Amino acid sequence: MDRNYHVFSAGRLERQDDTLRLVTEDGEKKYIPVENAEAVFLHGQIDYNTRLLSFLNKHGVAVHVFGWKDYYAGSLMPKRGQTSGQTVVEQVRAYDHPDRRLKLAKAIVEGSIHNMRTNVTYYAGRGHDFDEVIEDIDAAGERLESVTDVNEAMGTEATARKAYYSTFDAILPEGFRLDRREYNPPPNELNSLISFGNSLVYANCVSAIRATALDPTISYLHEPGERRYSLSLDLADLFKPVLADRVLFRLVNRNQIGLEDFETELGSCLLTERGRKTYGKAFEETLERTVEHPRLNRKVSYQYLMRIEAYKLKKHLLTGEPYEPFKRWW
Amino acid sequence: MYVVLVYDMEAERTQKMLKIGRRYLTHVQNSVLEGEITEGDLPKLRGEIEDLLKPGESVILYELSSDTLLDRTVYGDDPAEDSRFL
Repeated sequence: MDRNYHVFSAGRLERQDDTLRLVTEDGEKKYIPVENAEAVFLHGQIDYNTRLLSFLNKHGVAVHVFGWKDYYAGSLMPKRGQTSGQTVVEQVRAYDHPDRRLKLAKAIVEGSIHNMRTNVTYYAGRGHDFDEVIEDIDAAGERLESVTDVNEAMGTEATARKAYYSTFDAILPEGFRLDRREYNPPPNELNSLISFGNSLVYANCVSAIRATALDPTISYLHEPGERRYSLSLDLADLFKPVLADRVLFRLVNRNQIGLEDFETELGSCLLTERGRKTYGKAFEETLERTVEHPRLNRKVSYQYLMRIEAYKLKKHLLTGEPYEPFKRWW
Repeated sequence: MYVVLVYDMEAERTQKMLKIGRRYLTHVQNSVLEGEITEGDLPKLRGEIEDLLKPGESVILYELSSDTLLDRTVYGDDPAEDSRFL
């Protein structure tokens, strides 16, 4: 399986010896094996040239850039291996057809609610009293069945998510408080961790969509945005609870990330380089974790689950086979 | 699949082997590389090694079906540590 590489230091990324090399500011040289790279995540200040870009393009390696304050700044994607006008036409048709779009939007919310609920029941099984929250989430799920437009579907997702976030304070130790979900910039430690995790999920979904002929800007739950790959936002909603939030709970509860891993300044609170490294490492380990897939009859990695989601969507659009959203089954 | 690759080349040709190896694996010591490789990439690597070798030179590839079978102990600094987080 191809891997993600994360660059936290500042320096220069270049093509050398037919592979990738990072030369850090203090002159250290580190190599990245290009043949098993899926994407390179740049968190530090990195110089590169066009020769590197053509080389990455040739090897189908994406670059995801995180700019000032960890904010996702954009991706440099390799040229499409897959192109299919038919797929894009069908994708737009489904978007433009109110019933079909609503059905897809509802499926995504259904999956997202299910995956949030699994996290809550997991922690309920570990001695927390989340009965009320589970009731609220279930109520949102029931309401979803009868919604008649996409905005309403968004609304039920938001209600469920609010109930879901209310459990965070109980799950996490003293010092990590959500108050309320805010970003751009995140005001406290917990918001900052959620944002960082979500942006990694988002970037991985961008890579997964790119592997298909789907157009990343045409989405169903989120409104096709002008700047963002909104289809990636749709898919990311399904995976955030399974990937980002679980990693967050684990790291904070085991004290691998503490309050000292954050820097606060002018109303924003961000992970330090050490904190981002710790989180990134745990996140990548999670992506590589495998689970038995009931329909494929083999083990697949969490990372591959995102790829499967893109394939399922494409298949639905082209053949009309019903789209079943990803729901954590284990 | 996890592999360890060791090589013995004519002194002025060692760079050529290193250059091939670095595209797939992590360079850990003089003439030694190791790392995870896919079943698809392994035959590609094998082919490149065979094309490069001259009489009198040798490459040994140790294969394990997964790194969970590997018992790896490092004394001193681990050159492969954090190879994905730079």
